[in-house]
Amino acid sequence: MLVAPVVLNEDGFPLSTYPMYSRSRGAVVTFVTAQGIDANGETTALTLEVIGDSDDPLIVAGELRDAIRDGRAQQRCDEIAARAADWGRLPPRTAAIEVVTERHDVVAQVEGTPSVLARTVHAACEVQR
Amino acid sequence: MIADVEPTRCVPIIDAVAPPERLAMLRVLTGMFAVVYLLVRLPVFLQLGDRRSGFDGVGIAALLARPVSSTVVDIVIAVTALAGAGFVLGWRFRFSGPMFALGMLALGSYRGSWGQLLHFENLMVLYLLIISLAPAADSWSMDARRRGGRGGRGARDDAGLESPAYGFPIALASLVLVITYVIAGVAKLRYGGPEWVFGDTLRNHVAYAAARLDLLGGSPSPLAGWAVRLDGIWPLVAAGTIVIELAAPIALLGGRLRTTWVLAAWLMHIGVLAFMLIGFPFPLFLVAFAPLYRIERLWLGRPSWAMRSSDQVAERTASATR
Repeated sequence: MLVAPVVLNEDGFPLSTYPMYSRSRGAVVTFVTAQGIDANGETTALTLEVIGDSDDPLIVAGELRDAIRDGRAQQRCDEIAARAADWGRLPPRTAAIEVVTERHDVVAQVEGTPSVLARTVHAACEVQR
Repeated sequence: MIADVEPTRCVPIIDAVAPPERLAMLRVLTGMFAVVYLLVRLPVFLQLGDRRSGFDGVGIAALLARPVSSTVVDIVIAVTALAGAGFVLGWRFRFSGPMFALGMLALGSYRGSWGQLLHFENLMVLYLLIISLAPAADSWSMDARRRGGRGGRGARDDAGLESPAYGFPIALASLVLVITYVIAGVAKLRYGGPEWVFGDTLRNHVAYAAARLDLLGGSPSPLAGWAVRLDGIWPLVAAGTIVIELAAPIALLGGRLRTTWVLAAWLMHIGVLAFMLIGFPFPLFLVAFAPLYRIERLWLGRPSWAMRSSDQVAERTASATR
């Protein structure tokens, strides 16, 4: 029974194929996230709780990805903007939230060098303070 | 526990024998871990009740057509937590055991039903299911105390005698443990292929985990930046990871081979935590490896100053002679 998911090639719970981090991965990866934006177009990182109301990055990224896929990016943006307005560490100059897809060279990103290769904005919304 | 339960016949696993205290200790360790896990992750489980979109049921949650109400989620959490206390204490275990295991199965299934399957709870839930269907409260439990029995410990009359009834569940948990690791190793070869070992895949996974956290406003591992700059070591680390996972069955041989593998697997999890900030708490806290050892000695072998009565000294002496 334990190897059934392997035979069927179907992940599940509690029986699993344990596919996490098992696939080959290149250095260029596409991420979904949400960022604060000021009038000059400068971006500010938010937090997991502000973006996804959770401390689990897998859940936050998964739900945001689903929202974009299902055409709910604007709705999700409004929810994030509402949480951002209540976030005490949001820089005063931040005027809006953007839900974005960014393509990064992850090795460069971790090394702290310029890494963004492409950026797509799926939704933008004002932060009501 | 295959190596440390002496088979009396010739069918491994099925005929493995163990004293009731070993299974009881596995119940206490696994149950305590699961209850603490549930309480620590309580905010995450409670938040499940607020979700309404993106539901895609897995596990037993696949029986649901749509998300349940927050009230149902709250009730399941509360009942599971209470059953968890019964599981640990061995109170009405015939009911509390399966109820706790099913509750954790339900919560784990529901948590994974939102498009992102996590794998932190699989092994823990499998252990709970095995233990819940076993006579794990025949010793060191409120049930045993209520029944009364030999040596004033409240155990059944046959308590203290090694039996397949106690050895089989432990051996089964050991088997589940090693198969789980082998499946994880096979997955890397199956999905990643030779590139997983010989390419930069592992380095890129480390960088990916750090970049994802950074871009989502989390705190990536401070070691990730240093680690990705290390050239030449990643194929070795990747090969080592797969060897550890595929070599899991040697843990069933017992002795130094078992302990060497456990140490290697634990260090692998420490590495994943250090470089990727991804923690698998069940093996990190060593509970996953408990079925491989004579864990009843954790209690029976405690210092004499921790003994409360002469009965318990006698208990340890009796066990040492078994």
